[in-house]
Amino acid sequence: MNAGPGGGGAEAASRETRDRAALGERPRPAVHGYRWVYLWHWPIRAMHWLAFGSIVVLALTGFYIGRPYFMTGTGNATSYAMGWMRFLHFAAAGVFVATGIVRLYWLFAGNKFERLPALFPLRGRDLGNLWRMVKKYLMIRPERAPHYLGHNPLQQLSYTLVYLVGAFMVVTGFALYGLSNPEGFFYDAFGWVRELLGGAQGVRFWHHVMTWFFVIFFPIHVYLAIRADVTELDGSLSSIVSGGKFVREDLEFEDE
Amino acid sequence: MYFPLTDPWEPGATLGEHLHSRGVSRRDFLQFCGEMGAILGLSSLLTPKLAKALEQLQRPSVIWLSLQECTGCTESALRTSHPTIGDLVLNLISLDYQENLQAAAGSAAESALQQAMKDHHGEYVLIVTGSVPLAEGGIYTTIGGRTARDILEEAAAGAAAVLAVGACAHFGSVQAAAPNPTRAVGVDQIVKDKPVVNIAGCPPIADTITATVVHYLTFGRLPDLDYDHRPLFAYGARIHDQCSRRANFDAGQFVKAFDDEAARKAWCLYEVGCKGPATFSPCPIFQWNGETSWPIGAGHPCLGCTERMFWDTMTPFYQRMPKVSGFGIESTADTIGAALAVGATAGVAAHAVVTGVNRMRHRKEGASGSGGGGPDGGSASHEEDRHGQD
Repeated sequence: MNAGPGGGGAEAASRETRDRAALGERPRPAVHGYRWVYLWHWPIRAMHWLAFGSIVVLALTGFYIGRPYFMTGTGNATSYAMGWMRFLHFAAAGVFVATGIVRLYWLFAGNKFERLPALFPLRGRDLGNLWRMVKKYLMIRPERAPHYLGHNPLQQLSYTLVYLVGAFMVVTGFALYGLSNPEGFFYDAFGWVRELLGGAQGVRFWHHVMTWFFVIFFPIHVYLAIRADVTELDGSLSSIVSGGKFVREDLEFEDE
Repeated sequence: MYFPLTDPWEPGATLGEHLHSRGVSRRDFLQFCGEMGAILGLSSLLTPKLAKALEQLQRPSVIWLSLQECTGCTESALRTSHPTIGDLVLNLISLDYQENLQAAAGSAAESALQQAMKDHHGEYVLIVTGSVPLAEGGIYTTIGGRTARDILEEAAAGAAAVLAVGACAHFGSVQAAAPNPTRAVGVDQIVKDKPVVNIAGCPPIADTITATVVHYLTFGRLPDLDYDHRPLFAYGARIHDQCSRRANFDAGQFVKAFDDEAARKAWCLYEVGCKGPATFSPCPIFQWNGETSWPIGAGHPCLGCTERMFWDTMTPFYQRMPKVSGFGIESTADTIGAALAVGATAGVAAHAVVTGVNRMRHRKEGASGSGGGGPDGGSASHEEDRHGQD
């Protein structure tokens, strides 16, 4: 009842239970008609929040670097506005890259909801369910929408897109970062990016434009997360904090 | 100004002897060698060796082709920091053929070119300014009835090294900008079997040309080049990282308009479109016209002219970012992005309202109906269950 469907199936799940018991943790809550499933290991949750924080810093400092229309110095050169903005940008970029590395590792080390195949809804069933999810959000027969413990196909697609855009930002960011030191590692290692995107200005343009992807993604993501929590009543909003959520005993899940 | 036909370099004489006969003092010559060494990034301990190597040079043959271009590069080349020797070296080695500077004209000039190519086959340095138009058989530039491509291919065949001087020879410059009606290309698109050095810039700084030639004459090989075949000693660092206004950039002090107080205070030109952060060039260090000034020093943003295809990639010159095509002239990436973000938020809000209305309707139906709700009853019946638990 309280064992979540972990990565390696029953064995991993029992190990999970044993480990938690050894740590003296309280048993997982079981409410009548509901069971609690553990989905997101702490590296995933830590990655999520660190990536969120770094993206906020990166976007704010990035927009300043792109167009420094606010906080312009006033006369005496005692300010270091752009210098600090760039420092924060590069520091936050370091955090963001670190979360990317953790996510990459966890694509292979995680449970079945976190692994590489969970990023791509490629099975025939997934495609049909993808369409049913789209219809659900268009309010067309929402009761026919499939149930997933982890991410549904639409979520899989959107989060994979987030990862890809994130990777694009990292690659273009390093290509721009390398410009200041043409004898350094980043200049050589990311020279192909400049060639691909039509020189440093092209890289700068796309790096700037794709920032808007995150700005646009943010309200949609937050809205749909809150909406799912409100309409499904499964506490899924807190799964990115606690790692798990409640699911109804009487539902069948596509990815159980 | 040096006139090529007076006091020619005697065959067999070294450069040292020749300079002496022209009245150039030893001190001036050593100073020139020291400056060239500094530009090339050589230790000052090497200056005597540089001087010795240059001194002992036999007359090097250089042919300078002017193809599809404006002759601005020649103008720039004439304005080396130290005209007496810089000019001298350039003009001396240009003796064989330089359309703008040579006294000969017409068929006499063309036969001089042919003679030089024959006499020094495989030894001469070929300097090219101007691009090569390929459209319609290359008829857009012809000299003496021959196309630019024809002339370049013939001259390159016997050259020891090829220097593509200026943005035109580098990649085609303004005539190669979209839509490139004459299909202009740079020298390295035509000459594939020889090392081509791109002395980038529109025009390049004279000392860059001189120093590259001096490097070749001294060491017998071309200087180290970057990914775009530009000499690293000159194009190895960004304008942005050598700029005299960098402190203002770091301080967040920006010019907003060319007539504002910030412009008078010589603050950073980043916001009025300076392409220094994307441009590799020695302008801030070498400067122009005998170290008089340079664009940013004179209050004008860098256009990025040492970068390939800069007419296409660096425009609009007075804005930070390229425009987004297909959305009207005035839309930038930011206006589109902001519109989409607002649209997404509005869409999300509308969706939330519809969701709420639907739930209220379902709740009413549930209250008036049997209310049981099977396992597949969707969110409404789901909520019924929850209320039941409450």
